[in-house]
Amino acid sequence: VVDQIRLWQLENERMRTAAGFLFKDFDTPDEYAALSGYADEIGVLVWRNDRKKVFFASKFEQLRDYLKSRKKAE
Amino acid sequence: MVRAIRGVLIECEPAIKSIIVHFDSVNNDIIIEDLDETHLVVKENMVHVLKQKLEERLKETYRPEEPLQDSE
Repeated sequence: VVDQIRLWQLENERMRTAAGFLFKDFDTPDEYAALSGYADEIGVLVWRNDRKKVFFASKFEQLRDYLKSRKKAE
Repeated sequence: MVRAIRGVLIECEPAIKSIIVHFDSVNNDIIIEDLDETHLVVKENMVHVLKQKLEERLKETYRPEEPLQDSE
């Protein structure tokens, strides 16, 4: 049992997981910047890579709505 | 067109990531997106299986240390 616990500890230290959504394939750098910025602002941004223009968010409903309203405004 | 893909983000050290990539290479049924050397997105329903496989692998790797613990 001790070894089992030790292994779980090892794994927990070595690996972190977060459920959510990967956002990718943005049409423009502006669209990426706006949506990732908004995700950060509302506290759902988990991880981002500005070079690859992809980010991971814990929720997507608000981001979808934001994107819709942004498209409408264009 | 931007896409949102449901999954689980995994953050781990490169050694662990390479083990996961190796697991995936058998059936290509685990990884959704390989992001960088310490991040990847995997299928939600595969996380449990992945953790089990990883535990088995770590058990193999760390077996040599066990006698030391027993002698304490």
